[in-house]
Amino acid sequence: MTATLETTVLSTVDTAVELAGVRKVFGHGSSAVVALDGVDLKVKPGEFVCLLGASGCGKSTLLNIVAGLDGATSGELQLNTSRPAVMFQEPALMPWLTAARNVELALRFAGVGRLARKRRALELLELVRLGDVADKRPHELSGGMRQRVALARALASTTVSADGAPALLLMDEPFAALDAITRDVLQSELLRVWETTNTAIIFVTHDVREAVRLGQRVVLLSSRPGRVVREWDVTDSSDTVLDEINTHLREVISGHAV
Amino acid sequence: MATPSDTLDKVGAGLDALDVPVEAHKPPIWRRFLKTGVPPIIAFALLLGVWQALWASAILPEFRLPAPVNVWNELVRSIGTGEAFGILWTSLHRAVFGFIAAVLIATPLGLLVAKVRVVRAGIGSLLTGLQSLPSVAWVPAAILWFGVTPSTIYFVVLMGSVPSIANGLVAGIDQIPPLLPRVGRALGAGRLASARHILLPAALPGYLAGLKQGWAFSWRSLMAAEIIATSPQLGTGLGQYLHNGSSLNDINMVIAAIFLILLVGIGIELLLFRPLERAVLRARGLTGAL
Repeated sequence: MTATLETTVLSTVDTAVELAGVRKVFGHGSSAVVALDGVDLKVKPGEFVCLLGASGCGKSTLLNIVAGLDGATSGELQLNTSRPAVMFQEPALMPWLTAARNVELALRFAGVGRLARKRRALELLELVRLGDVADKRPHELSGGMRQRVALARALASTTVSADGAPALLLMDEPFAALDAITRDVLQSELLRVWETTNTAIIFVTHDVREAVRLGQRVVLLSSRPGRVVREWDVTDSSDTVLDEINTHLREVISGHAV
Repeated sequence: MATPSDTLDKVGAGLDALDVPVEAHKPPIWRRFLKTGVPPIIAFALLLGVWQALWASAILPEFRLPAPVNVWNELVRSIGTGEAFGILWTSLHRAVFGFIAAVLIATPLGLLVAKVRVVRAGIGSLLTGLQSLPSVAWVPAAILWFGVTPSTIYFVVLMGSVPSIANGLVAGIDQIPPLLPRVGRALGAGRLASARHILLPAALPGYLAGLKQGWAFSWRSLMAAEIIATSPQLGTGLGQYLHNGSSLNDINMVIAAIFLILLVGIGIELLLFRPLERAVLRARGLTGAL
């Protein structure tokens, strides 16, 4: 690993993200749907948190609110980080730009100069081991490679701030569309990147195994409306925790059987 | 002893090696020419052969179906005297100026229709309707408004090409996957940066298709206007040349004029739009039709 990255200065603030009583309602009147109902969540700088839940639990809604792509109906959101970066299930690379240009795009929006942009983009591509394909366009890359370019681009948009604010990466089931082996490789890649960059990560998934493998903490959300059901510390994950979380998730889901 | 993460790294490296795209071998030039250049030449030769045979059979009188060689002689004569260049120049510069003006008008118009809901509701369907209105229908009105002047010709050209270009841009913007502008917002792009770096490049294939159609419409509108609105002060364009041939009952001149009009259309397509379109589509991996 040769790429060096400016690790963000450990700030004195001990929470990167704080959600208090966040509520989100879609629609009005009788057709209104409560997606999130009083969600409280704290994430420490550099912490890896997995949000786990079945369909309709509002995981993506929660992520969009933290990302600033969507507003909460009520409740409070406090961010002590630089601009949060988002990664979606699809890589969503700009098909007319090369891998390097895609990463540079994030830096351009942040107002980074041309030369610095080029250097930093290559650095980040090296970090996800794609330095060799920097000049390839998305259609020339495999699904796993594209998602790694998207990871590099996301990192570019969050680790750019100079004021030393901790970085925050929001990931919305980023590996769900990949095959098993690629997913396995990318999970270990993500862990490596997380350890190198000291970025706080909120990772949304419906896969218990993935959540336990990646996260330091797993937060289980209920469905319709989304509420925090329970949390587990999974730093030293064991099979018993995995089984326990699985049992709880099944309970949440079977509660919706008609 | 390899740790699990070392093993995974190896698996990842293997996957990457397998996934690295194989450079497609480019066939030599003569073979590409054989594949793309020869078929149209054969088709053209066959057409000429049929024409020659029809003429030789003398089913139609000479003043209706001329001999290919007579049309050729008319072309050589007009090129030799320099007349052809003057005619081509008159028409081409009108078409190019008209087209550029159309692009300048249609691009902001298309952006407005695509992005502002009220504007789309108001004139969106009018724009589509205008596209199906043959622009030659504007010639009588334009003559009444502007007289037989260059304004008439430019007006007809604009009415022909602006709707196509604007509609192409609207279609291009409508077909952008909604995830792309969302990603732009997540990356911190403002409205303007998003339009410049995401919306416009993403809409480029549709926009280009609109430009291509807009050019075709401005060229045929120009011909229609030139054939109908003829006067000495307008000079001789291809349309007038065609009109003169018809007035003089000179079928050689008429066919030669049609040939020149076609030549310009094919020339612009091959020299300008085809390479542009190829470059844009190839960069996006949309090579299915190439």
